[in-house]
Amino acid sequence: MLHTRHLCRHYPMGGTIVKALDDLSLDVAEGEFLALVGTSGSGKSTLLNLIGGLDQPSAGSLEVRGRDLARMTRDELSLHRRNTVGMIFQSFNLVPSMTAVENVALSLMFAGVPRAERDQRASALLEAMGLGGRQHHRPKELSGGEQQRVAVARALANQPPLLLADEPTGNLDSRTSREIMDLVRTLNERDGKTIILVTHDAALASAYARRTVTLLDGNVISDTGQPAVLERA
Amino acid sequence: MTFTDTLLLAFRNLRQSRLRTSLTTLGVAIGIASLAGMVSLGVGLQEQVVGRLTQSGVFDSITVTSGRANIPGMGGMGLGRVAGRGGRGGRGGPGNTTPTQPAAPLDDAAVARFAALSHVRDAYPTLRIPMSYQYDGRTNAALAAGIPESSRGEGAFQSITHGTFFPDATGASVMLTLEMAQQLKADAPGSLIGQTLELSYADSAPNAQGTPEFVAGVQVTRVSLPFTIVGIVERDPAPGANLGLSAIMIPLEQARAINARAIANPQAFLQGAAPQTRRYTAVTVRVTSAANTQDVQDQIKAMGFTAFSLNDALQGAKRAFLVLDILLALVGSIALAVSSLGIVNTMVMSILERTREIGIMKAIGGSDRDVRGIFLVEAATIGLIGGMAGIVLGWGVGRFINIGANIYIERQGGTAGDLFSLPWWLILGAMAFALFVSLVAGSYPARRAARLDPIQALRHE
Repeated sequence: MLHTRHLCRHYPMGGTIVKALDDLSLDVAEGEFLALVGTSGSGKSTLLNLIGGLDQPSAGSLEVRGRDLARMTRDELSLHRRNTVGMIFQSFNLVPSMTAVENVALSLMFAGVPRAERDQRASALLEAMGLGGRQHHRPKELSGGEQQRVAVARALANQPPLLLADEPTGNLDSRTSREIMDLVRTLNERDGKTIILVTHDAALASAYARRTVTLLDGNVISDTGQPAVLERA
Repeated sequence: MTFTDTLLLAFRNLRQSRLRTSLTTLGVAIGIASLAGMVSLGVGLQEQVVGRLTQSGVFDSITVTSGRANIPGMGGMGLGRVAGRGGRGGRGGPGNTTPTQPAAPLDDAAVARFAALSHVRDAYPTLRIPMSYQYDGRTNAALAAGIPESSRGEGAFQSITHGTFFPDATGASVMLTLEMAQQLKADAPGSLIGQTLELSYADSAPNAQGTPEFVAGVQVTRVSLPFTIVGIVERDPAPGANLGLSAIMIPLEQARAINARAIANPQAFLQGAAPQTRRYTAVTVRVTSAANTQDVQDQIKAMGFTAFSLNDALQGAKRAFLVLDILLALVGSIALAVSSLGIVNTMVMSILERTREIGIMKAIGGSDRDVRGIFLVEAATIGLIGGMAGIVLGWGVGRFINIGANIYIERQGGTAGDLFSLPWWLILGAMAFALFVSLVAGSYPARRAARLDPIQALRHE
């Protein structure tokens, strides 16, 4: 599913080079539920952004489903973001002026899905997320948990095999956090989505993920390893 | 993403910042209004001047004289004796020493040949007959011009101050210039309409009915004819519009009949030239449109005549107006340049406001092209709506100025007209220009939005 080899991401900052990721190598199999943990600045979000195609490596290779993101053009990266990965964020990142169903339909719009079909698909996804009655509400009229469900629905709209979650429960209370994490687990176990969860909460990671990779200063310091039972890819 | 969806997103964005969109659009509208208004003024003035000149018959008329004599300018026109000698002067006239072929006779046969040329509307002899007129016991001399029926409603005859044009092409009716009428009756020239004016000429036929008199020692007969005054014509202030205007104007057919009998040239008469071989000193050829003038003129020259028109002057006038149009357009463009900066400003502001939204669109799969398209469509929409509003605004302001200007012009004794003209090419051109300017103005912001780093954009608050 995912292979990184000697992956580096360096930023120039005020005359020095910040090594957010430094010679990181990691393999993730299809269908895994993996947690990336570490302190802030450890490089876990940088790695997630690289996998999501929001950023590109400075050196090394980053293969997702056999394609090296380091060599992709800007257009190819946007196709990767559209079709291969779905992302959810701590701050939900919904378009405030659009209703729930419009937010979900927006990602289908970029994929060129005709209007009638995308409205129907967006509606069905929200229904599946338990938001049947909240489709025409704008984000500010929804609770945090509801907003994050809309974001999950949007991430799933183009049926990507890989779901990336960047501190998805960071803005939620513990009960809502559990609901969202249960939903993510269902997507992994029932639908076979590969999940990569970034969190600084080790308890959350161990409660849901079956593998935890800990980063420090841009490299892996511990890896609970791939459970043999999941070696399907 | 499909184009329809791009439109959908762009319109929704414009709707969301209604005030800013309206103000920017208004800016474009003012820019286009000033540009379209200025060009419209140039075109309107051109139509006023060139149109009036064209209608006056100056540019679609060719003056043909006999032979290859070198007649400078219009000097040979109308004055019978000068041009008359010019007609025969090919053999001995000053400044023309090279032997030339005998001049083609400028007679009725030649007039018929001119009339048969394509694009020729009318061909008729330019007749100026020396006549005497009696009114209120006084006798004076004047040249009587033969006016063809085709001049009805054209040039100086577009508006007739008192009375009407000749009721028919052959009747014994006469029109006078206002100056002439004022000489006859200073206080109320209009009251001359319907009165009789006695016109007399010296007849060459020995058996004519009239008063005998002597010209250069030879006895001729003075024939007197009663004419009814039907119209009084004011000279037009437009140059050239007075072509064919003479103190006394009678129908061409009347002039022809008198010309055939009158002693227009005492010398020829004394030499015993037979009246039936009489040639015209000049013939006027009217073409269907000024565009054909040169062509017809060349054909007439090829027949062995001297042909002359003011067409070249018209081309010069058109060139001068083109320069004026360009200058007016440049002045008008200043406002549009300012409003295009308004577009850039609005779009840059909009990108700053929507940075996070752009980041979201990119994170869920929007490509650079998708984002650029949305912003370009927004700019184009501002341009198109601004362009349409600008044309309406420019038209309205132009109407307003026109009404004011015409009140002033009429007070000064001029003729009211449309100073602004809005032809379809100007409407389409202004719209296209508005679209072009807005796309150029929008291209930098759109590119900037498209190149935004999604991570930075998502962090943006």
